Amino acid sequence: MAGSVEHEEEERLSHSHVGRYAIVWIALLVLTLVTWWLSRFHIPGAWGVAVALGIASAKGALVALFFMHLWDQRGANRLVFVTSLVFVALLVVITLSDNATRFPLANPPGSEGALPLAPTDYPGGPPVPAPRDGPGP
Amino acid sequence: MRPDSATTAHLAHHFESLEKQQHAARLGMWLFLATEVLLFTVLFAGYAVYRYLFGPDFAAASRSLATWIGLVNTVVLVTSSFTVAMGFHRISIGDGKGTRNLFFLSVLLGFVFLGFKYVEYSHHFLAGELPGRYFTSTVNAGPGAPLFWALYFLITGLHGVHVVIGMTVLAVVGWKAGRGAYSREYHVPVELAGLYWHLVDLIWIFVFPLIYLI
Repeated sequence: MAGSVEHEEEERLSHSHVGRYAIVWIALLVLTLVTWWLSRFHIPGAWGVAVALGIASAKGALVALFFMHLWDQRGANRLVFVTSLVFVALLVVITLSDNATRFPLANPPGSEGALPLAPTDYPGGPPVPAPRDGPGP
Repeated sequence: MRPDSATTAHLAHHFESLEKQQHAARLGMWLFLATEVLLFTVLFAGYAVYRYLFGPDFAAASRSLATWIGLVNTVVLVTSSFTVAMGFHRISIGDGKGTRNLFFLSVLLGFVFLGFKYVEYSHHFLAGELPGRYFTSTVNAGPGAPLFWALYFLITGLHGVHVVIGMTVLAVVGWKAGRGAYSREYHVPVELAGLYWHLVDLIWIFVFPLIYLI
């Protein structure tokens, strides 16, 4: 059975991709410079994060599709990689939304909306008050 | 299909054909790469949570990093990924020596990457910006600063370990390719070594904006 899917995959992989590699390399260099250049403007709020991660995702897609040949490969390899990306999204989004939607005092002291820090919590913090006499609370 | 002599030498007896064997090898590599992605995602999720909780501290600590080192290292790694892809192309037209030269060039670029890493690490070592109880810096010392530096060393350190492993794999496979171990028909180790290096590059593409830019 030479006409199998494996055979087609080998056929596609054995084509010359030199031009494609060069174009992807140049695109990656350009996107690297663009993301560095944009970061100098300190885009406010979440937009800076969104722009930086958007460009990183575009670069990552170029690497995965063309350097790693997912573009030419059959379903199974793509499915494995896409599945891992689904779990990346689950892990980051669920963990982050847990902390973001908590009652603020349930987050660590000194963080977004939570209790202020105890004086000894970090180096360079506010001065430690003198210890009080008498029994504790 | 009757396998010719070039393919029988590499065909394990439990596979019907070399094509099926190579497909299985490729799929196995992708499964491994998926676990690698998730390994790094744990650290990225930790970064996301603490960046959310201590936004201003993270921004201040990130600004004290030398952005140009991150930028240069991104260019170096992206270029090494390109030379690895070209090395794969050389073996697919049967040129093992070309693969060796391009893989050795990629290893050299890996050393350049680690050299810049050394400059950066030694600076932050001396500044006392080390993880956990070794954190002694009082510059930008909000409560989130020690967390940023712990995550910085964990993420870039784990990535650095992967760079060293990838360089070793590229050197071994490149050396074997130069000695004629692979051919037009059989070069799946070259492809898998390349896949690993591309993943190292892919991870860095996300590390660069997270640590240096935002």
